[in-house]
Order: sequence, then structure tokens, then C-alpha cells
Amino acid sequence: MACTVRVASPLRSYTNGAASVTAVGGTLHEVLADLERRFPGMRFRMIDEQDRIRQHIRLFVNTQGAADLSAPVHDGDTVHLICALSGG
Amino acid sequence: MPALSAAELARYSRHLTLGEIGAAGQEKLKAARVLVVGAGGLGSPAALYLAAAGVGTLGLVDCDRVEISNLQRQVLFDTESITRPKVDVARERLLKLNPEIRVVAHSLELCAANVRDVLSGYDIVLDGTDRLATRYLVNDACVICRKPLVTAAIHRFEGQAMTYVPDRGPCYRCLFPDAAEGVVPSCAEAGVLGVLPGMLGALQATEAIKLIVGVGEPLVGRLLICDALEMRFDEFRVERRPDCAVCGRTPAITTPTDPPGSCTEEALRAARRLSPAELQAMLRESGSSARLQLIDVRAPKEFAVASLPGAVNIPITELPDRLGEIAPSATPVFLCRSGTRSLRACGLAIRAGIRAPAHLEGGLLAWAADVDSAFDVAPL
Repeated sequence: MACTVRVASPLRSYTNGAASVTAVGGTLHEVLADLERRFPGMRFRMIDEQDRIRQHIRLFVNTQGAADLSAPVHDGDTVHLICALSGG
Repeated sequence: MPALSAAELARYSRHLTLGEIGAAGQEKLKAARVLVVGAGGLGSPAALYLAAAGVGTLGLVDCDRVEISNLQRQVLFDTESITRPKVDVARERLLKLNPEIRVVAHSLELCAANVRDVLSGYDIVLDGTDRLATRYLVNDACVICRKPLVTAAIHRFEGQAMTYVPDRGPCYRCLFPDAAEGVVPSCAEAGVLGVLPGMLGALQATEAIKLIVGVGEPLVGRLLICDALEMRFDEFRVERRPDCAVCGRTPAITTPTDPPGSCTEEALRAARRLSPAELQAMLRESGSSARLQLIDVRAPKEFAVASLPGAVNIPITELPDRLGEIAPSATPVFLCRSGTRSLRACGLAIRAGIRAPAHLEGGLLAWAADVDSAFDVAPL
């Protein structure tokens, strides 16, 4: 299943500056695994060693917030990777 | 509600025409007290629009001085403002724009010791700080003191905003429970499109005006993300977290708390604050810096550009492990670029048992402005 992934500004260094990429997977876990294969190191910026979403990161499937990586992702969904920003 | 004068009726005529605002709404704006934390990229447009809109009392918190690199986005200031304290310039500018209002300049760094006191004079808070620690401190204080908070942040071409209203929706910690300094890059490191904080700061002012007047739907429980490159706005539902550390059912944070290494109550009280002229006089008196130990807590690359004679470089990040290098008989005087890191250094020294440390208030930027205009202060 293919989805669109919207990439937060601080994570775009992994996607060569791309704001949007496509990925495959039926859950957030699988989508992030696909991203990690193509953009090594990106997953660790968002997910800790215990597979928990880091506290300054939020993941949304379409507009629905995900509490963990088991959240389902359907064909045509948009996954949003959102990062706390500090600039003022 | 305070009545509007003839001059105010003329000034705000375009608001008075709006049925959603009218005379009653304009009087609410006149009676309102709004605090803007950070007179930077976000705080500049927010404060300008709030002043123009007739918010009766506008407070500004910032302890920095204007630098040339600010002028690309911080529209409160102009070239002549460089080296002057931001809140002083901002106050002058806002009163020129609208002499009908009151502008309060808070030239300080918010910390646990002063945040409740500062917030107590205001009804609504706008967060435009560029430090994560301050962002969490302001959020926690707003939850504890039950003040609405309009928060926004920016990075390169992206901005985000959300509004907190007590009992009505999630707070910033519900959105991002915690974020260590350093994991999120700053604008100084990553850059920012100058007009982006203009968009987000204007949005913050809009939210504040709506809350004051009581119209429209605020961004409560809605995170707004703006991508200026694609000119795209996305909105996400954010729920309150029952386990939120500050607004949850059993909060762990019940009083504003300084994160490790930030300024503390002890530092504010015990640190001796030296003006550039005072430090210059002390250096002359001693004939050398023998009795004073000048400790420059900037990063090595900043120190390499220029430093005061006799100063040693102990970066703030290394200071906790290198406090033993401070001579017991000397008075340590901490130095940095703007006076923020040096005040933090005083807090670390005091907690380590070093008595009466001092710091250069306003930092080396103030030194260059007041004592030695040839001193080259390295950019961050």
C-alpha cells in the first residue's frame, strides 16, 4: 500500500530537501521501516530504542494523531511527520 | 469597560464598522492586557498589530539587544536600533504607532523565579521565544496561572501555531510532552525565511484579538502547520493528554520550574551584574585582571574571533565539569555574547558553592556598544 509522507522541516535533511515522499506499508511501523531503508537514520530521529515516538515528534495519519506505531495506514493516506520547532 | 475617546473612535473606525467587533469589542481591546514573550521575529509583527489594534496594555519580554542579523525579519527595529536593548526600542516604536496604549518593557530573561510575577499583570500570553526551555516554562506557567496562551514557532520555511485556553483544550505539553535543547535546531543554525515569522506572528495577534473580543473559533485543539515554500496550511486535531505533566489529571508539574542549567532564583539574587563601564573600572582598578577571573563561556569558535585580555574560555556546556578551574581567591566574572549564557553560568557556579560570581550584563555586545566599539563580537 502506497502513501504520501509529509516531512517536517527539520527532517528534510534526510530526504534531500523533499517536503513530500512516497512510502509503502500497512502500519506506521512499516511506513517508517520503508523510509529508514531509503533514508538511513531518519527513523531514529523520530523513534527511540523502545519503539516509542519521541516526545518532540508527532505522527498523524491524515488528520488523526497516532499514539504508537501500530496505527493502520491505507492506500492513498497521507502520513505527516511533525517536529517541535524552537525558532521565534 | 473604558469608554473610547473621539481620537480612538477615529483611529479604530475600521474595527467599529465590523459587527463582530464594534464599540463593545474595541472597548474590550482597550481594557485587555497582553504579554508578548520574545521581541523577535514572531513578537515583532504580533506586537505591532496588537498595538495598532488598540490593545490597552502590551507587555514585552526580552533581554537581548538588537543585532544586524535580526533586521531581516524583526520588523520592530531598524538599522539605528543596533546594540540597543530590544524592549526599549520596541516600546518607542509601538508608542509612536499608537500613543493611546500603555507599553511595558520587561528587560529580563523569564525563569521560574519571575514568571508568575510577570504573568500576573496580563490576561493573555503570546509565546514568540526562540528557546525551547522558555517555551515550556511559559506553557507551564500559563496552565498553572490559568492564562490563555497563543504559541507559535518557526524553522526555515515552516511554522506552527496553536492556542491554549484553560479547560478548553490541550496545552503545548499535550502536543509535545518534552523536547531537550539541542534536538530541535534553532533558526540561527538552520536559517529562516524572514517573512515567515511575519505570517505566524500576525496569526498570533489575530488569535489574541479573537480571544479578547470573544469572536470566531480559536486554534484550540488544532495545530496549524504552514509550509511557506508550497504555501500550504495543514491542520491537525490535538487532544488533551490525561497524563500531561502539567494539565493532566495528576500533574507532576505544579509550579514553574527551571530546566537544568537555566537561570535560577539564586542566580538572579546572588549574581552580581556588572555594566560594561563597571567592569572596565574594576579591570583598571586592579591594574590587571588578577583578582578578577574573566571566564568567557561562549563556544570556542566565538572566542577565537575576539576576547577580552586575560579571559579564559570555558564553554557553558563544559562549565559543570570545569568549575574546579576557578581560583578560590578570585572573583569569577562570566562573559558571553548577550548576557544570557553568563547568567546561567552564575547559577551553575552558585550551586557549586562559588560565592558572589559576577557576569557582564548585556554581554560582549554591550561591551562593544558602550566601551570598545572596535571589539568584534562573533555571530552565534
